[in-house]
Amino acid sequence: MSIDDSAHLNAVDTLYSDHHDWLVRWLRSRLGCAHNAADLAQDTFTRILASRDATTVCEPRAYLTTIAKSLMVNWYRRQALERAYLDALAHIPETEVPAPEQHLIILETLHEIDRMLDSLAPKVRQAFLLSQIEGLKYEVIAEQLGVSLGSVKRYMQQAFRQCLLLM
Amino acid sequence: MNTRLKDTSEHSPIDPRILDEAAAWLMQLHASTVTDTERNAWEQWRLRSPQHRQAWERAEQLMNKMGGLPPALSMAALTHSRGNNRRAAIKKLALLMTALPASWATWRVTPWEAWMAEYRTMVSEQREIELADGSQVRLNTATSIDVRFNAVQRLIVLHTGEILIQTAADNAVIPRPFQVLTAEGRLHALGTRFTVRQGEERSHVAVFDGAVAIHPKSGDSGVAQVLHAGNKTVFTAEAIEVSRPADDTDIAWAQGMLLADKMHLIDFTDELSRYRQGIVRCDPVLADLRISGAFPIRDTDRTLAMLQSTYPVRVIYRTSYWVTLVPR
Repeated sequence: MSIDDSAHLNAVDTLYSDHHDWLVRWLRSRLGCAHNAADLAQDTFTRILASRDATTVCEPRAYLTTIAKSLMVNWYRRQALERAYLDALAHIPETEVPAPEQHLIILETLHEIDRMLDSLAPKVRQAFLLSQIEGLKYEVIAEQLGVSLGSVKRYMQQAFRQCLLLM
Repeated sequence: MNTRLKDTSEHSPIDPRILDEAAAWLMQLHASTVTDTERNAWEQWRLRSPQHRQAWERAEQLMNKMGGLPPALSMAALTHSRGNNRRAAIKKLALLMTALPASWATWRVTPWEAWMAEYRTMVSEQREIELADGSQVRLNTATSIDVRFNAVQRLIVLHTGEILIQTAADNAVIPRPFQVLTAEGRLHALGTRFTVRQGEERSHVAVFDGAVAIHPKSGDSGVAQVLHAGNKTVFTAEAIEVSRPADDTDIAWAQGMLLADKMHLIDFTDELSRYRQGIVRCDPVLADLRISGAFPIRDTDRTLAMLQSTYPVRVIYRTSYWVTLVPR
């Protein structure tokens, strides 16, 4: 382990003991749920531990809430996705319902795709889903979205690119 | 060594420009028409360097990810509204199948000038082969074919079972016809993708791209008929039945699925038994029960369990080789 690493660990340690409880309270006041608040606080520190250099943090609470906020957005999006998934489950023919052990894998994949497509414009995202999930031809997608075939191709390339970069 | 440095090397970053190109190829190969020239160019691109291969592997991972999703459910969840197109997955896969030969387990054999080979599959097995001229053949369950290529012809003899053929343009100096021989006659491919099935004293043909000329064995020349994309028919040694529209259900097997659309249970069990060792039969009182849905043919036990959970039938396993469906 390098000197950098041990300094990083020490900094995370300090952040944790000084601000963990505060962060949990902060999250609870926004989420209204102690369980989820504790989980998200944990995720926040895990993320800092894994990827950031904690030694250069000068505004610890602003830093923590920035990360916690992005995790919260993510969490809300996941909740929405899960709700939509469960809702859809109730409406599809029984033969299409995946085996119970597949639900988690499917949800995880859906979440990953949702995340990868996040920064794309709505039409790009829609074109991509129509092609890759509904299996529609570019010509049909162009008609449905009211854009040219060339645009659909551009959208598709953009979406593929985004996915490949983020995978 | 710094752990963060080690991380990046483990993820072996791919040059974003190569990923851009991979994205462009993905886009192009999903278009409804992909020419042989494009496909060759893509193949060359892919083999250009280890990084290119790696980029394409990532592309295939993405395709696998998307391909494994149940369409109706996923569309609804991702658009947060309700969508419903239960055949979309298959359409999509069918498209991909023509577009991405790399995902096929392919191998090449000896020069195309003269080539004879036999291929067979066992019950519930499928196999893909790439012929010397670049044409692709997918063998469905319990299938046996001979491949006979020489200077004047490209011939496939279908002894039993079912095949899906995607023909390639012939690169011989004088283009050779691509033909399939069944017990009932001869099929002449006119640049195409089609399936042929050897039935009991009859042959089944369904065309998805291009066209196929059908020549029944004992019919006079006036009997020959051209079947165009989107149609299917059945022919005997003497005659060709009136053609009907072909749809995804006719090619779903190539994606490992049995698609039923209000299919009689008796026909469904006949179809299912092609993919299963032993006997599957249904009680005559259930014969007319209508079945709909997509069922996995590689896991017939699961298909049977799905039937039991959805329809008023009970599956009785006398042995794993003898399965009977009775009323619940």
